[in-house]
Amino acid sequence: MEKNFAGSEINTTPDLNTQPELSRRRFLQAAVVTGVSSVVPTAAVVLETPASHAQEIHPKANVPVRAMPNPIIPNFQGEYGSSSTPGFQIPKRPMGSTGLQVSILGMGGYHLGAALSQEIVNDMVAKALDHGINLFDNAWEYQGGTGEERLGIALKGKRDQAILVTGVCTYGRKKDIAMRMLEDSLTRLQTDHVDVWQVHDVIYYNDPELAYQVEGVLEALTAARQQGKVRFAGFTGHKNPSIHLDMLDRGFHFDTVQMPINPFDPSFRSFERKVLPVAVQRGMAVFSVKSMSGSGESIVRGALTPTEALSYAMSVPGVSATVSGMESMDVLDQNLEILRNFKPLSDEQMAALREHGRQFNDGRYELYKTTVKYESDLGRAQHGFSSSKELPA
Amino acid sequence: METTGSIPLRRFGKTDVQISALGSGGHHIGVAKDEKTAVELVHAALDGGITFYDCCWEYCRGKAEDWLGKGLKGRRDKAFLMTKVCTHGRDGTLATQMLEQSLRRLQTDHIDLWQVHGMCFANDPELFIRPGGAAEALVKAKKEGKVRFVGFTGHKDPEVHLAMLNTGFPFDAVQMPLNPFDGTFHQFSFEQKVLPVLKERGIAVLGMKPICGRAEPVKKGVFTAQEMLRYAMSLPVTTTITGFSDMATLKQNLEVAQGFTPLSESEMQAFRDRARPYAADGRFEPYKVSLQFDNPEARMVHDFPIDMQQIETREMVAETQNSGWPFPS
Repeated sequence: MEKNFAGSEINTTPDLNTQPELSRRRFLQAAVVTGVSSVVPTAAVVLETPASHAQEIHPKANVPVRAMPNPIIPNFQGEYGSSSTPGFQIPKRPMGSTGLQVSILGMGGYHLGAALSQEIVNDMVAKALDHGINLFDNAWEYQGGTGEERLGIALKGKRDQAILVTGVCTYGRKKDIAMRMLEDSLTRLQTDHVDVWQVHDVIYYNDPELAYQVEGVLEALTAARQQGKVRFAGFTGHKNPSIHLDMLDRGFHFDTVQMPINPFDPSFRSFERKVLPVAVQRGMAVFSVKSMSGSGESIVRGALTPTEALSYAMSVPGVSATVSGMESMDVLDQNLEILRNFKPLSDEQMAALREHGRQFNDGRYELYKTTVKYESDLGRAQHGFSSSKELPA
Repeated sequence: METTGSIPLRRFGKTDVQISALGSGGHHIGVAKDEKTAVELVHAALDGGITFYDCCWEYCRGKAEDWLGKGLKGRRDKAFLMTKVCTHGRDGTLATQMLEQSLRRLQTDHIDLWQVHGMCFANDPELFIRPGGAAEALVKAKKEGKVRFVGFTGHKDPEVHLAMLNTGFPFDAVQMPLNPFDGTFHQFSFEQKVLPVLKERGIAVLGMKPICGRAEPVKKGVFTAQEMLRYAMSLPVTTTITGFSDMATLKQNLEVAQGFTPLSESEMQAFRDRARPYAADGRFEPYKVSLQFDNPEARMVHDFPIDMQQIETREMVAETQNSGWPFPS
């Protein structure tokens, strides 16, 4: 029986203990050994929520190509408790060289925008704060502004407890547009400053070049910092380590950087191997994303349990915080329960997970690196790509 | 058909074999209007001086090989015949079965160049070279005289090509996308990253996607098709493979190829400069940065999601006419 990567105290009954491992072994054999015979068209997993469904729930929502709710898998029930321990506090770590202390788990803004109602978001944010989660990530473009608006309402009166992060979505466009986006963000978030303002989705190969152009978005970062509207500057992206390195190597002083971290990454276009050491060496805060492949693809197919996924990301040395999307109280509760039992994984456990991930190093669980699925329509339009309607992935 | 001179012949890698600088793409033969048209196209291409014929086991579920075989009937000796094997990581025994089927469809006792089709994913090299993998079938087929030369193809990522080359397998030819956009897409430039390695090792270079697959840059007015073809043919390659499903397109290609003289380096540079503003984000090379041109069969073997609710995936499946079943009869 393989080791449970996340610690023995979580799974106490034999059933629950063996189920995920067994299904994963079966999966490995099916994928690697027997090949196509076990892989038939009907087995394809459809992770998308139909656009029409999303539109009904959120009239302002774009076609939801970027992220889907993290799945709650019946098989894994019992891995979590039904409620978190009162008074349990999520650990904090230094946020790079900023002097701030950040919770090791952060709340992703896109999923807040996808939650069923504002009331749910209010309750989730309040509960998160109660348990010491102080990192709230967002972006100007999420759900046409709904992502920021909801977080702004939920943080009303509690703004000072939060490290508020939002993204500026210029995709190569210039400073003036960036500054207008910042004003939008501040209004929606109901605040006079954001703690971290990040160039969002640096995912096209010429984005660094465009960011560094005269009057480019980086000048907006500097200006906003001087005006006190922004405390720290960073950038995000998920496409290719070479793009991140290009962004870093051109000389701008970034305080933070966001990148995908999961057990699949080290063996495929690896941010962990290529970018993380550079960021750490420069004293930057690293926010990890895509712990569950972006839309839970690796979880749904049994390649990882949610506990393994989050534990891995939170255990990688140099990661300040792991940003995870949560669109319902259930998911928040799951995460709190994982955190309550969390002990950083040992080197052996990490190595075992990386070795496990290596078997899928064709990128199947990192679609944000290999397809345009996670590219927003706004970014696509700026770069002359087809829209998500024409090219869903 | 009028001719304005013959198509230049070029040396196939380190061998003494000469092939025409323009090659015929097999998929387009399979999607010609009907069998008669396909046969006429092959005849006209042979008459026009094209000696290199590409095909693939899985194109149009075998129809492409069938029709090409009919076109080459009685003229097999005039053609340098290439087809591809579609194991996508599966066993060498399957590759051998596919070869027998290709030989039957193509009505020949040997393939001049047999290539492993569509190296696309990071673990394809590993799956190819593993014990029992397709590499063993290539060696066996060569030894048995059923194929003269072997190679591999792919359009996704130069790193995958380099990893294939680093397996140490003795490839005679390598196929990859070459066009002005590829030439300036630094991260994913086959011209910059793979072509020099092939030249150094004396491996035959086969260019494909000279007009970016579906001619998007032509439709958007950035280049003419002729310009793009001339760029690709001016690179240090053995041949440039391009498809034609009708006589007009063949004629247009022959006009470029017959009596072809390569562009000067300054002309090439001017083409690259023109491509540069569009090249760096890959918008005209969807085969590198999106699922467009991906192969459903390869994806299934790799357990990659195939979501039939997605328009693009449906198009992909319809286009290749592949069902994902391993061995269509």
